[in-house]
Amino acid sequence: MASKFSGVLQLTDLDDFITPSQECIKPVKVEKTAGEVGKIKIHNDGSYVQVAQTGEEVKLQKAKITLNDCLACSGCITSAEAVLITQQSQDELYRVLEQNRKAAQDGETSQEKLVVISISPQSRTSLAARYNLSSLDTARKLTGFFKQLGAHHVFDTTFTRDFSLLESQREFVQRFQSNDTSAPLPMLASACPGWICYAEKTHGEYVLPYISTTKSPQQVMGSLVKDNFSKQQGKPPDQIYHVTVMPCFDKKLEASREDFYNDVYRTRDVDCVITSGEVEAMLEKEGISLVDVTPADLDTMFSSTSGAELLSHSGGGSGGYLEHIFRHAAKELFGQDVQSVNYKTLRNKDFKEVTLEVEGKVVLKFALAYGFRNIQNMVQKVKRGKSPYHFVEVMACPSGCLNGGGQVRIGDKEADKDLLTRAEKLYSALPVKTPEENPLLESLYTEWLSGRDNEKARQMLHTSYHPVAKMTNALAIKW
Amino acid sequence: MCARLEEVAVLEGHQDRAWTVAWNPTGTVLASSGGDKTIRLWGREGESWVCKTVLEDSHTRTIRSVCWSPCGTYLASGSFDATTCIWDRKSGDYESSATLEGHENEVKCVAWSPSGQLIATCSRDKSVWIWEVSEDEDYECASVLSLHTQDVKHVTWHPHKEILASASYDDTVKLYRESDDDWDCLATLEGHDSTVWGVCFDQSGERLASCSEDKTLKIWQEYLPGNEEGIQTQDSDPTWKCVCTLSGYHKRTVYDVKWCHQTGLIATAAGDDCIRVFQEDESSPDRRNQPRFSLTATAEQAHSQDVNCVAWNPKEAGLLASCSDDGVVKIWRYKDE
Repeated sequence: MASKFSGVLQLTDLDDFITPSQECIKPVKVEKTAGEVGKIKIHNDGSYVQVAQTGEEVKLQKAKITLNDCLACSGCITSAEAVLITQQSQDELYRVLEQNRKAAQDGETSQEKLVVISISPQSRTSLAARYNLSSLDTARKLTGFFKQLGAHHVFDTTFTRDFSLLESQREFVQRFQSNDTSAPLPMLASACPGWICYAEKTHGEYVLPYISTTKSPQQVMGSLVKDNFSKQQGKPPDQIYHVTVMPCFDKKLEASREDFYNDVYRTRDVDCVITSGEVEAMLEKEGISLVDVTPADLDTMFSSTSGAELLSHSGGGSGGYLEHIFRHAAKELFGQDVQSVNYKTLRNKDFKEVTLEVEGKVVLKFALAYGFRNIQNMVQKVKRGKSPYHFVEVMACPSGCLNGGGQVRIGDKEADKDLLTRAEKLYSALPVKTPEENPLLESLYTEWLSGRDNEKARQMLHTSYHPVAKMTNALAIKW
Repeated sequence: MCARLEEVAVLEGHQDRAWTVAWNPTGTVLASSGGDKTIRLWGREGESWVCKTVLEDSHTRTIRSVCWSPCGTYLASGSFDATTCIWDRKSGDYESSATLEGHENEVKCVAWSPSGQLIATCSRDKSVWIWEVSEDEDYECASVLSLHTQDVKHVTWHPHKEILASASYDDTVKLYRESDDDWDCLATLEGHDSTVWGVCFDQSGERLASCSEDKTLKIWQEYLPGNEEGIQTQDSDPTWKCVCTLSGYHKRTVYDVKWCHQTGLIATAAGDDCIRVFQEDESSPDRRNQPRFSLTATAEQAHSQDVNCVAWNPKEAGLLASCSDDGVVKIWRYKDE
């Protein structure tokens, strides 16, 4: 069975099978009452019951290992489907929508959750390619589909990518200008959760300081929806059910991180992540093709549109981090206006370089490193202090996010290649704008975050990383 | 039985299991590695074989595998400490000049390509890595192949094409070649009932031998597109078919198999402490599709414990090295009777 996670995560054993040599060794806390010796009986249906001396039978609870346990553990980690399905699947979305319907029927509108769907532009593009629709039609039809199912709002994470890009730009210039050893160069992009998970588990404190602290568009949308939008709507954050649609399974891990959990309200910034492929499965379940879905007007609140047009960013299907930071840094640091960014392909198509020369001297050197082999070489160089770069746009998937593991797949190698080519074409055909041109952003910085350099802005737009210590459990030793 | 293996030398020195033996390209130096975290280099002094050098202090755990670069200037060693070390003789002595890091856990085998440009490693982490040797002697990862579903035990290169074979605990052998800017699997050889421990090509590269925990040896034949037998192939890739299974000879797991590129003899190392040599029957009517092999020599109790590896000398036909869990390295001469 092929794992759906990115290759990077598969290498860290995060895959779907537990083999005899890789059992889960996560210690599970067992509630035990001291004293009496109990008996355990196994019923015909496979359930375990404890038989007390009085003959009373108590059904034993199953030991549960959540995705969080797995993320915190360096031993066997398994993402056995069951673990994910409990929190992160279309079934969970259906369950919440069903509860809402029930609450409405019973007249308990206070029990109804506000359902917000945030769609990534990569997922929208993948579905557009799959159904041979334009990007705009796809956006309108997806909005129609989710609203018909009972969602209240449908946003576009291109909007919060403006925040991610702006913050990355600023962070890079700060790093470049200061000699802070806790924030060294090269700055490594932080939007790819597969890469983050791999770095935390495998390279720990050697590499983590290099990773940009800027949150990914998904998690900025999480902050925006649960902090800003919730107040606007007069709803506590736990009364909003926030779903993102992503090109990538690893995004489910990102949403599950402790860092994005609100202890007070016991809610996550992103409650559920479904992939492009899972949206296709939902459409199939409803027995409808996206082509036949009645379109709906786009939610203009957190979406990137101009009139009737969708907007995007320059610099490719993985978000354009390199290009935006490059242009910004060239201007801020060297007073240079970069007209066009020229990529030089190095070892393979997933490893490219961009340089800025001033008076014959190279002053900025950036790279794209996609896919595991290129990440590997990049990490080894950084570890040995031999990296020639100032910034690296790191993505776990070969070809980047448009080729994410959660994108729609037909199953045939050639057909999937065609699909990716179509998606890349659709994506690059969108008109682009810079984040500085987004008028709403400025007012959000002022009204929501009360400025740029403060604790609130840091909390909402930045995050931190945690090395996962190698487990030294006798059970984990492999001879 | 028409031949025998005559014991030429008994080389003692490893303080723990001896895992691999490898001849340098000119056949003058034998390298061995073991659980004592050392590599020993053995050479002739007059009539006898002696330990010339001990390479140590570069690995923190068992050195599971060692191989030479085709030019004979470099050695690569793969260890349970998850790293692969490159040793360089340029200054006269062997020095550790680079470390290849990236595998999650135990490296099981390392193999240098015949061109000298590529190194393959495999690991318990189920992946096969291909490293490129750059001009400034930097080693960069060119591909990570996570196609096996279990521990990968062995990797070996085609004698003159850039094709790699890997053998795994998932009972299969996989072949890879470069296509479209990355490496990809071109064939999966299924047939063994248990772990495949070793795999090697014959001199032509058109045949493969594999050995397994299932106590058998299998011979595989390559069929190119448009082959006269009419065997189906896909696109421009060949099909590999098992044309012979040698069973009933080995009493326990067969840990290693080596096909001599000079004589065509096949040697095996097994868990029953024996070394066996097989020879192809040249009078067989259809050697390509139905080859026959017969056992021509057995060294009973070649070692006092499992034999882990055998290696034919690349220049001196019939000279065979072996090593074992008993920590001893031996050299044998194959003699017709």
